[in-house]
Amino acid sequence: VNIEQYISSGIIESYVLGLASPEERLEFEQRCSQYPELLAAREAFELSLEQFSQAQAVPAPAGMKARIWEEISRADSHPGKEKAGPGIPAPVRPIRRDWWRYLAAASIILLVTSTLLNIYFYRQYQGSLARYESLFANTQETARQNRTLQTSLENSQSSIRMMNDSNMAVIALAGRPLSPSSRSTIYWDRRTKDVYLLAGSLPRPVSGKQYQLWAIVDGKPVDAGTFDLGPDLTLVRMKNIPRAEAFAITLEKAGGSNSPTLEAMYVMGRI
Amino acid sequence: LGTTVKYHEQELVSLLKAREEKSFAYLYDNYSGALHSIILQVIPDQELASDVLQEAFVNIWRKIESYDSSKGRLFTWMLNVARNLAIDMLRSKGYQNSRKNQEFPDPVYFEHVAGSTQLSVDNIGLRKAVEKLKSEHRVLIDLAYFKGYTHEEIAELEKMPLGTVKTRIRTALTQLRSILA
Repeated sequence: VNIEQYISSGIIESYVLGLASPEERLEFEQRCSQYPELLAAREAFELSLEQFSQAQAVPAPAGMKARIWEEISRADSHPGKEKAGPGIPAPVRPIRRDWWRYLAAASIILLVTSTLLNIYFYRQYQGSLARYESLFANTQETARQNRTLQTSLENSQSSIRMMNDSNMAVIALAGRPLSPSSRSTIYWDRRTKDVYLLAGSLPRPVSGKQYQLWAIVDGKPVDAGTFDLGPDLTLVRMKNIPRAEAFAITLEKAGGSNSPTLEAMYVMGRI
Repeated sequence: LGTTVKYHEQELVSLLKAREEKSFAYLYDNYSGALHSIILQVIPDQELASDVLQEAFVNIWRKIESYDSSKGRLFTWMLNVARNLAIDMLRSKGYQNSRKNQEFPDPVYFEHVAGSTQLSVDNIGLRKAVEKLKSEHRVLIDLAYFKGYTHEEIAELEKMPLGTVKTRIRTALTQLRSILA
């Protein structure tokens, strides 16, 4: 190292005025202990800086001295026995600083861990939520189907109870030439004269047409009501017929006709 | 003020470390003006500069244990404590905001600023010496020493290579030494 050159490089001023980088400071301090002329030059600059600064002093505002002393003594008396005697180094500071450092490090680790866990749990939650929603939809669908089946079962059971009733007259309606394989059955309550129909194997009507049941009373057809073919085989309650010799079903315009279209008779049965 | 005591630096430092009240009094009487001056050169607002000066003395008192005489004179250390606190204040949000507010055309506040609270700082302390430098050097010393910017920040601000910033600051500093001597 050319120490003369180093001395005049501006490093001394840079160091003393606090403008040197940490690396520069370290190097400078090492060299000061090695080269007395460097140390002397540093001290000379420090002295001229101090003298110049003193010459340029601006008096501090009045009353400040007492104010500062008050603050210092107030702060000093608070930490208690900390009025350390001469020569006793205070090891309290560094230990406390380390303690804070560990606490800060621990906090950061906790924060990072907690953030990662949050992300993980949020993903888990998203997955669970999707599964829950699909399960919930399935359950709703199953419940709906269950209600449909329940209704259908109740209808069938009540139909069977009525068919099995000893007060019911059973009249089988057989297929006519138009539809020889068709079969329907009338259940006629002897006490109330209510008429129930089991549509059986009638063909599905074309649109705009509806089946109509007729009771033959004294040779004349009496309207006993129109009906649609439901999805299930259940008894359909028709109009009350006090007296009849026979029943027949014709295919009529939707809503029914006043008199039967005889050419469109599908089934018929006598009592 | 009867007897004038003159301490050697070493003596003063041990008295300070022993927390002797008379050492504070001595410190204040001998150095408050010089420290006040350097703070004013960074923070021209007198009221704020007073706050920083107070903080500086409290810091010096509390941190005297960390002063290492092998690294420099007590005054050098105190000067740096004061300058660093002033620069902290200069770069604080609160200070920046109060600067911005001054740009509003509030005649009352304006008069206040222009009148009594601000000194012309070009003519005090180190700035007086810096004024004698070439302008290209003066700008860099102002940014580095009185505004506390790092060499990297200055390179960016002045759109100058980092190497040039370093060389020019070093040159300016050696010139400053001959001005001070």
